Amino acid sequence: MPCLRKMERMIVSMQDPDMGVKMRNQRLLITVIPHAMTGNDIVEWLIQKYGISEEVPAPAPPESLHLGNLIVKHGYIYPLKDPRSLVLRADESPYRFQTPYFWTSTKWPATELDYAIYLAKKNIRKQGDLIEHEKDNYNLLHKRINHTWDFVVMQAREQLRAAKQRRKGDRIVIDCQEQAYWLVNRPPTKNMDYYKREIEYCRKAMARTRVKSSICLEGYIKFNEQYVPHDPIMSGCLPSNPWITDDTTYWAMNAPTVPTPTKLRVERWGFNFSELLADPLGRAQLLDFLKKEFSAENLSFWEACEELRYGEQSRIPEIVDSIYQQFLAPGATRWVNIDSKTMERTLEGIKTPHRYVMDDAQMHIYMLMKKDSYPRFLKSELYRNLLAEAVIPPETKKRVFPFMRKQRHSSPSPALLLPAGDTEERSRGPAAAPVPEEES
Amino acid sequence: MMKEECKALLDALNKVTACYRHMVLTIGGTSDSQNLREELKKTRQKAQELAVANRNKLTTVLKDKTVSKEDKAEFERLWVIFSTCLEILEIDMRRALELGHEFPLNVPKKHLIQTGMSGGTSGVAARAMSIQNMKYEAEHNIDVVDLKDLENEINQVGEMMYEMEMKVNVPQWTVEAKQDPGAELKSTISVGASSIGMISVEENKSFCDISKVLAGIIFSAVLIIAIVLAVCVVKLS
Repeated sequence: MPCLRKMERMIVSMQDPDMGVKMRNQRLLITVIPHAMTGNDIVEWLIQKYGISEEVPAPAPPESLHLGNLIVKHGYIYPLKDPRSLVLRADESPYRFQTPYFWTSTKWPATELDYAIYLAKKNIRKQGDLIEHEKDNYNLLHKRINHTWDFVVMQAREQLRAAKQRRKGDRIVIDCQEQAYWLVNRPPTKNMDYYKREIEYCRKAMARTRVKSSICLEGYIKFNEQYVPHDPIMSGCLPSNPWITDDTTYWAMNAPTVPTPTKLRVERWGFNFSELLADPLGRAQLLDFLKKEFSAENLSFWEACEELRYGEQSRIPEIVDSIYQQFLAPGATRWVNIDSKTMERTLEGIKTPHRYVMDDAQMHIYMLMKKDSYPRFLKSELYRNLLAEAVIPPETKKRVFPFMRKQRHSSPSPALLLPAGDTEERSRGPAAAPVPEEES
Repeated sequence: MMKEECKALLDALNKVTACYRHMVLTIGGTSDSQNLREELKKTRQKAQELAVANRNKLTTVLKDKTVSKEDKAEFERLWVIFSTCLEILEIDMRRALELGHEFPLNVPKKHLIQTGMSGGTSGVAARAMSIQNMKYEAEHNIDVVDLKDLENEINQVGEMMYEMEMKVNVPQWTVEAKQDPGAELKSTISVGASSIGMISVEENKSFCDISKVLAGIIFSAVLIIAIVLAVCVVKLS
């Protein structure tokens, strides 16, 4: 998660001996443990480092406090006085940095096994006096990972013995660190919100559409069979592969806007509607066709919605307004035909405009074009003429004079060389193609 | 007697794994040093030797058809403990690699996290290696040099675990733990009262033995001086 990386960088910059947070010593009855900081120090450092202004409209908390709270909630800094409340207080309450092993990480989530070992250790230390929720978790884990419970007990004992080899102050720090880590990762209170979220999550997981792998694979094979003739590496590249022959005709002929498109390109428009829309030339042809059918406003509406979705944040109210005026207002010049329910919802949404307010309407129009106009387009005269006029680029011929340095020739597909041989052939294949021809 | 040998080997591996984890916890903090990295290297090499020894012993026993049913169940239980231990060791080794990359020691711009630790981990390492004192003989840039070896060793451990999965067929769910919940409390080994309540009054209970001895010595010295002075006064007067 990127926010974790950012927090880690912040923590590391706090360690700077000159520019970092001011460190104090924590005095316990006999031991003195270094590297404690007050909440105030942290807040001041944040304000200074990031130039945070303290002017905020009430009742929002100041931004520095909010940042500090995030750091504490994710477990990078833990409170020393009141370990159970993971908040940053901007007063004299002491805090300390967490050791990197215990930093929050999506790569190394806190495992049940580790939690069980921690609870067993706590059990031993406190002679059976665990807190309520810890007792429950302990019993739950004993049932759940029963097969390794012996290991849990063994490891707990050994870890405690290993810790005894360290200095008293370090032992206290290690205990605090571990306790803080588990308070972050196994929070004691599971309130209503937590259970509601879990229920929602499980419901969504059950409702996910699942496709049988046989159907999935069939679709995959069909897709590949359809696109193989269009792939320049698998089926060769006409006129020639520019990377091999230095002839850029291929790119010139397939530029986004050309007067005569290639045959392969026009054929691709027939595969599915999104291919047609993705190609600027295809979209222009579709627009012409729709103009003849008097439904060009559909495509314009769709394009305007795309501009809203992917456009600038500051222009959103302006774009929403222009869409409304042009396409949705009763009596608009290019009124689009949307069903009444979607229209109602959209008009409601326009009152609080945001990026995705036109999504329902856009989807409706998209499906309309796809189901209605697109099949007609493919059967139309316009399309058939395009297919007929489309160009198949000729293979560039070999130059006759052998001593010309730039030999122009069509590049066969490297994939076609594969059946001939083994890996050696394959690795020499693309390199072998230009080499022998340049010699001859 | 096979059982005792297996158990002893497993206990040794367990001990080394616990020590290794303890040391990996300190990487990146203020206790981190070249010595720590060397200790990590030695500990994990020892762990690997023990793991191989364990695996060999347990696989020979599990492949043996002449073992009785109860014994076989017991050995399967040991096998599950062994594979869990190895999993934990592998995870800790991977984390050590990642943390080692993130916190190189000789780079002036990269600061270690001030975690509040001030002591070293030589005691832990000595416990892991089962020796009295650790000797440090590595070069000064072991933190960087060692990472390559660590990668290789992680791969080795991964391969060993894969082989184990493939060769020995012990389903984990068939093993039942011998210990009930709370079994660790019945242990006769008192683990001391290193409590979490750092500011609480429990501090008073856990006086260091050394300070007690010191106090006793000072008290007796003062007593002797007082007696000597009294005798002098009596003699002089």
